[in-house]
Amino acid sequence: MAHTPLLSDGTALRDGNVLRRVGQLGSAHDGVREWQLQRKSALALIPLGIYFVASMVRLATSDQATAAQWLASPVPALLTILFVLALFVHAVVGLRSVLLDYVHTRALLVAGELSVRAAAIVLAGAGVLAVLKLFLAH
Amino acid sequence: MTRMERPLSPFMFPVWYRFQLTSLMSILHRLTGIALAVGSILLAWWLVAVAAGGEIFAATHAFLSSPMGVLLLFLWSVAFFYHLCNGIRHIVWDAGYGFEIRSAFRAGYAVLGVTVLLTVLAWLPLWLI
Repeated sequence: MAHTPLLSDGTALRDGNVLRRVGQLGSAHDGVREWQLQRKSALALIPLGIYFVASMVRLATSDQATAAQWLASPVPALLTILFVLALFVHAVVGLRSVLLDYVHTRALLVAGELSVRAAAIVLAGAGVLAVLKLFLAH
Repeated sequence: MTRMERPLSPFMFPVWYRFQLTSLMSILHRLTGIALAVGSILLAWWLVAVAAGGEIFAATHAFLSSPMGVLLLFLWSVAFFYHLCNGIRHIVWDAGYGFEIRSAFRAGYAVLGVTVLLTVLAWLPLWLI
């Protein structure tokens, strides 16, 4: 039976060949990969974000011992680290797309992109280290 | 011949474009995304404060428990729930579904409704205590 083409068959979310096809038509550089990274990190953030924010309802204003004990447990520690990593990947891609839209000076654009990346690496690194410290000290 | 002064993005909305829920929700998605990225500084700070303990945690805890801190947490939660729900709406579009104008508006109202619902659910336990 012939396959009826769907609009969704042609979207970059579904079609693994889209990068190759774009490459033959003319370069989109890393556009498709970045587009996919934004969606993949978004999909990861749906369960991870809900889990973390649901936990924060209780923990955001709790005392240090309660929060430390939670972050030292294996499942919260792992999921918090994954949440932090996915969050900063998603934030870098998203902020980059904002900069690309509104910053039209090459030097400012490069400076902005590098600042966003540097800040994300420092913040993600600090967050992961903090969780690891609590987890390993437990 | 005089050339028309053309308006440039992001200043097209709402002066040059008629108000529409869909375009408002589009720019809100980006604004909440930026806000959440800025808010992630506080998230990383909080994790470090828990690990550090002592005075750093005490100061962080005092800030988060203050009216200003609670307001920030509230706005952060609204931004998070909106960006989460509207992000799912975008994923559905990216998968190739729901492009009809009716669907776009229906999903838009659903996103707004669920955002309010999730915000209330998240804060209800704190109000009840």
